[in-house]
Amino acid sequence: MVVQRGDLACCVRCAGLTAAGRLARRHLLKSAVHPPAAEPSGQAGAGAVPVAGAADAAAVPVTGAAGAGAAGGAGAAGADTGGGSSQPAGPAGHPGVLTGTVLDASPQIITLYSPDGERRIALPPGASVWKGRQVDPTALESGDTVVVRMVPGQRSLADRIWANAGRVTGVLIERDRESMLIDEGRTTGRQAVLIPPHVMGRLQVRFPRLEPGYLVDFIGLRGRGYLEALVPATSQPTYRAGEAPARAPARGHSPGRIAGSAIWHEHAGPADEEGVRYPALDPETACQEQPLAGSGCPRLPYLSVGSLLRVRNECTGTARALPVTGCAPTAQIFCDRCVTCGTSPRGRIADLPMAGFVAMGGDLERGCFNATVALGSLSPGSPGPGSVAAGSLSAGPASAGRR
Amino acid sequence: MTGSGLPATLLADLQDVQPPIIAGILIGACLAKLSRVLRSIGWRGGGFRGVAPPGPAERGGARRRRVPSEPAIAGGPGVRPPGAALDAGLGPTQLFPLRLRRPLAMVMCAFEMSLGLALLVTELPVGTRAGTALWAPRAATGARIAAAAFFLVAAAALVELRERRPDLGCGCFGDFSTRPAGCRSIARAALLTASALISIQSPALYLPPRGHGALLFLGIAGTELAVIAALSPEVSGALVRLGYTDACELRRLPADRTLATLRRSRQWRKHARAITTEMPVDMWRELCWRYVVFPCRQDGKNAEVVFAVQVKRRRPMVQAAVLLLTTDWPHGAPAASVPAQNQSRHEAMQLSRRV
Repeated sequence: MVVQRGDLACCVRCAGLTAAGRLARRHLLKSAVHPPAAEPSGQAGAGAVPVAGAADAAAVPVTGAAGAGAAGGAGAAGADTGGGSSQPAGPAGHPGVLTGTVLDASPQIITLYSPDGERRIALPPGASVWKGRQVDPTALESGDTVVVRMVPGQRSLADRIWANAGRVTGVLIERDRESMLIDEGRTTGRQAVLIPPHVMGRLQVRFPRLEPGYLVDFIGLRGRGYLEALVPATSQPTYRAGEAPARAPARGHSPGRIAGSAIWHEHAGPADEEGVRYPALDPETACQEQPLAGSGCPRLPYLSVGSLLRVRNECTGTARALPVTGCAPTAQIFCDRCVTCGTSPRGRIADLPMAGFVAMGGDLERGCFNATVALGSLSPGSPGPGSVAAGSLSAGPASAGRR
Repeated sequence: MTGSGLPATLLADLQDVQPPIIAGILIGACLAKLSRVLRSIGWRGGGFRGVAPPGPAERGGARRRRVPSEPAIAGGPGVRPPGAALDAGLGPTQLFPLRLRRPLAMVMCAFEMSLGLALLVTELPVGTRAGTALWAPRAATGARIAAAAFFLVAAAALVELRERRPDLGCGCFGDFSTRPAGCRSIARAALLTASALISIQSPALYLPPRGHGALLFLGIAGTELAVIAALSPEVSGALVRLGYTDACELRRLPADRTLATLRRSRQWRKHARAITTEMPVDMWRELCWRYVVFPCRQDGKNAEVVFAVQVKRRRPMVQAAVLLLTTDWPHGAPAASVPAQNQSRHEAMQLSRRV
């Protein structure tokens, strides 16, 4: 069992190049044995993935399989703005979002160094800037790390800017008078959090138990090696991390779409940047980021790294199909609700990287948006980005299986 | 069980059934709490990441100021899972300071077991006939008074818990008592207090007389158990658990079983000759299916065969497909033998074969 013994890491960023490629190939292999439902009209063009040999058919060789491997993994993110805004700007897989480092800032123009080079971004009068709180654009300084959401349809016109935003979600390990150490997960490591004295009271309104073992979730300003906590991202669970209530037994299959809240995290590397962390990875895969103690809520069906997950922001209507890139270790034990637009059902169902969260219409300082997730699959007609068909998280019977 | 009329007989039987029932409830409560601890201990090997032990501040030691960017602080993996605590987030022990919760929970659990055993032992008769004297009448009376006091304190603690922490379960029966403490739990404690009080004068254990006397005795015992069950929010949860099975997409199934199922399948036999390695090169799960990939040779070319095995205990379906590897696929496993240096793969394969 390769996977069980760790030859394939459970999260994309932990995997080596070979393993990452293997993870990316899973979509193709799955499509071969379980072909996605056919499109109504003749979608299958020249680039279609020829699939055969499933079920009880004889072993039929399939050609053209290798090239589609690139469609998986991080590159498989597909945008689908069902009713939401279409945002063409931005590099990589996050439409309408630019991340980078501030080189120069003025009230009207900021110059960024982004992965695709130097960019000048105009700031219209209504553009807002968050840097621990809403600030004037002149508060941006050279060296600040920013996430910029563009005005829809514009490539260089900023709508909102978040500077040095950071977040720490995990279990409080040790606390001092003004600082604490938080355990975020096995591969993420521990995070130092500094709480300024004037913020402590505000944080303790929603996080009254700042004791070892309790869960915390803070948003603030990322410093060099620590986070300056400024905003509570949620209300603190009343239980300690190891004492999350056992989930109630439920009959029947999971619903096709599971509702809850989507949160964000600071991405831990390029491989983690364009995917989604999912709280319920198959426990048999010896995931390096096993969820912490407690089953929590809601009941999520098991998936694996590389599975496509269709995440929809219920507040904006934006939906994207993203590959699962890792496990969200603490998401299962936060049984909280998101109230960005209405009140979501309890539970965190997706953990997006910062840029992905912003691209889907989330505001970083809020910490979450109401979301639904469903299993996505590559449509048979076009295996590339943007060709993701929504599936169902409920388990249906197999079509043509043979023992 | 002597008396002139039916009411007197009823009252006498009611008194007589109390000690065993109370003892059973106390021992059951203790065992339920212990099972929680045992589950937590057994769970430790399953990849649990424990929470670090309390820091110096919590232990009452000297506080020290730490620079936020300081990298390492004591308390790593391998520490006690917090779920192993008897005081794990339930019960009136949560009303006490953190350092007292665990000892208090242990004391309470030990007291329940001791009291239950004491009630049983002190009820032993000198002889075997009805009405024989108690073996240790003073000890029996003491145990019953202690039981009454225990349930009275428990009822008061539940009232307090309901006032101060309405979100917490009473923890009376471990994980079964996760619902917030309500009127039923308090009423149950009050009922058991009354039961313990009326049992103070009850005689030693005896076999109920045959005929109507036995029916009456059993009827009273059954009625009381039914009343206690009606006042126990744990019963409904326990009944649900008895008949519950997870849906397949929520079910945990060892990968070893998946491989064993695969190797018994017709699809495996069909493709076994073409498969070139013992070990799968990839295995993952989505919902009710686990996918297993092996390299193989197809018409003299490198290919991969992917099996989809249903996550199901009985008669799982197995499906298969073969995909050719093209030359521009850099990560495809060559259709070659198992790499000798990959010892872990080989060991894993040996393990899967033993299944």
